[in-house]
Amino acid sequence: MAESQSQAPTTFAEEALTHLDTLYRGALRLTRDPDQAQDLVQEAYLRALRYQHSYQTGTNMKAWLFAIMRNLFWDRFKGSRKEDVSLDDVGEFVLYDKLRDEGAKPEADVLDKMAASEVVAAVEELPPLHREVVLLVDVEGFSYKDAAETLGVPIGTVMSRLHRARQQLQKSLFEYAVESGIVRASNKEMPTQ
Amino acid sequence: MNCPDCKEKLDRYVDRELNSTEVLEVQLHLEGCPDCMDSYEFQTHLKRLIKHSCDCDTAPAAFREKLRQILS
Repeated sequence: MAESQSQAPTTFAEEALTHLDTLYRGALRLTRDPDQAQDLVQEAYLRALRYQHSYQTGTNMKAWLFAIMRNLFWDRFKGSRKEDVSLDDVGEFVLYDKLRDEGAKPEADVLDKMAASEVVAAVEELPPLHREVVLLVDVEGFSYKDAAETLGVPIGTVMSRLHRARQQLQKSLFEYAVESGIVRASNKEMPTQ
Repeated sequence: MNCPDCKEKLDRYVDRELNSTEVLEVQLHLEGCPDCMDSYEFQTHLKRLIKHSCDCDTAPAAFREKLRQILS
């Protein structure tokens, strides 16, 4: 018994560190600053180690760690004011339909021409409450259920935030596509490259 | 299933959040509807683009080692 207790912290830490990249990416996207991301992740790991007794073995450690990290983010960087920006006024925007309207065919070619840095920028422009849902579901592959548990909200809230976030993302990507010449909105043609 | 029904379920289909009956309904519709199939493939492509654009960052090696020492 004494042996298993003395080994537990190392085992827990080792398992926790297998999720470091997920936590770091999440922190980087939330803070948009590498130094702040490292501070946030380090504090999250220290808190996780302190409260490891509350982690139930066999459950989703990645989700548990992410929840600690994002709660610290809101505590430290946003003063726990989560309802800072709403995306309610985005309206329906379906990039696929918009590209079809503009005559940009095949539509998927437009995506192939988009720079990863611009996609990241569009994600980082999302309000944090919506950004974190995209990070969990689209980037890290969380189920709606796991995302809901991580964020402490009902599944319906995850779905509605995800929907609005995707509308805004698609709108931003379309604007980037037009501004960068990937799509010619007025000519309704794809430029030849 | 008609096109509006398919469109309403497409996000959850791409996210693998539909039950098996709904999945079958969407699959059957997609097989017979080129427009919805195009839209589905586009949504899948877009989701993959977002993932690959955002998941290329990894924790710096020095930071990983620092954490390893702190936590040990």
